[in-house]
Amino acid sequence: MSGVGIKLAAPSSVGPKPKLRALLVEDNALDAELVLRALRKDSFEVSALIAQDEAGFVQALRTHCPEVILADYNLPNWTGMEVLNVLRRQNLDIPMILVSGALGDVLAVECIRQGATDYVLKDALARLPEVIRRALKEKYERSLRHQAEENLAKKVDELARSNADLEQFAYVASHDLQEPLRMVAAYTQLLSERYKGKLDENADKFIGYASEGALRMQVLIQDLLAFSRVGRANGNCANVDCNAVMEEVLKTMAPAIQESAAVVKRTNLPSIWADRTQMSQVLQNLIGNALKFRGKEPPVISVQAEKADQHWRFSVRDNGIGIAPEFAENIFVVFQRLHARTEYPGNGIGLAICKKIIERAGGKIWVESEGSGGSTFKFTIPVQSPDRKDGMA
Amino acid sequence: MKSARRLLIVDDNPADVTLAREALEVCAPDCEINSVPDGVEALAFLNRRDKHAEALRPDLVILDLNLPKRGGLDVLAAMKAGPHLRRIPVIIFSTSQLGRDVARSYELGANCYVCKPGNLTEFFATMKAIEQFWFGSATLPPRGE
Repeated sequence: MSGVGIKLAAPSSVGPKPKLRALLVEDNALDAELVLRALRKDSFEVSALIAQDEAGFVQALRTHCPEVILADYNLPNWTGMEVLNVLRRQNLDIPMILVSGALGDVLAVECIRQGATDYVLKDALARLPEVIRRALKEKYERSLRHQAEENLAKKVDELARSNADLEQFAYVASHDLQEPLRMVAAYTQLLSERYKGKLDENADKFIGYASEGALRMQVLIQDLLAFSRVGRANGNCANVDCNAVMEEVLKTMAPAIQESAAVVKRTNLPSIWADRTQMSQVLQNLIGNALKFRGKEPPVISVQAEKADQHWRFSVRDNGIGIAPEFAENIFVVFQRLHARTEYPGNGIGLAICKKIIERAGGKIWVESEGSGGSTFKFTIPVQSPDRKDGMA
Repeated sequence: MKSARRLLIVDDNPADVTLAREALEVCAPDCEINSVPDGVEALAFLNRRDKHAEALRPDLVILDLNLPKRGGLDVLAAMKAGPHLRRIPVIIFSTSQLGRDVARSYELGANCYVCKPGNLTEFFATMKAIEQFWFGSATLPPRGE
């Protein structure tokens, strides 16, 4: 068989050190021997195969599983460059070091560009062990990095899946809970209407509690559905003029604004790439909170936006009761409330929805507050959405 | 003096049927209400088959979507495909707020789609509104019996 290399296993093959499996691509037996000698001199234990042409090389790749390939550039029928082609075709990451007579800079650089690890001249073989050591180390690091990347990708994938599952669960659970709850709410209400004053005082009270509880749970479930819908509604992004959105929000909230004698100030707002409905929901929730958690003075709310790097930074500032810094993160968690329901009504869903909307849009939301001097809610929206096609400006 | 209106309620939840009866008892005490718990029985009733051989043709059908055996949309499609049933007005009465359920219902020829209200006051108000419109304002097709 013409292509199969001659086995040149080192005589001292049994030793504590694992042998380096090298594949030499070389048509000159003497040169091959020189290469191996250079390695052994450096205490490398080598198990080497020599291939002289492509067929022999391909077979040796399979049978020998080399850790390193040492290839002469000039062979009778093919070149070192073709060795690289074979490796690429077979998707093999094996360091390939050119061991050759003078090649010239252009060719050497081209080989490195094509994927050769290094280039060692035949009359400077003393360099070879060090080059191999470095190549092996680099390959080891490469494989570690590759594995880490793979693990990360897997984790990201798992996380996305479990997130989607959770979202689906929240939706289905809250949707299916509504049905029996509707019965509880309707019938406790019917009981209270039909039998009020006909049973004893306690009965009226108990029925009242049950009825209120059911109604409150209905609101909670509606909120939960609204929250999980944020994750489901997708892809309604467009160029949104935030001034127009603000106009709408102020119109919708006009009764509440009037009732609390609030002043809402705003600067010119930008146009952003966002989901209009969700954007309006964020502003409405934040302004609604500013009205709800007002201090003794009539609310003064100012809405503005400025460009910071690749983001628009919006802020909604109020002169309300403020938020103690230790709660600055809590308030964005779903169903987290800082006040008794009798003090301030609500379910603790508004800011959680804001956070979800903003984060899905690639931004961040946070609050700055000195406690009693009002609060400033800030959020960012990317100037240009990362997945937006260019050329649509 | 018009004869008593006949209503067929198709709903597998007896609690909902009872609520509807409670509501109509107040606003339309002489309305004749029948109810069936699934899609197969609904079609048997409408086609006067089996144990419903003696059933009288209803003037209005209130149809839930989520039904055992044959779903509400299936019943609706069957009704609208039958020459003698297609003119009976059908009100879809469901908790589903999904756009695709609403759209599909109208496509199949539902006369209107009403979401079941969550609380009693609204439920009663809705039933009353349905009764007043369909048995009051609207002119129903002749029974053709």
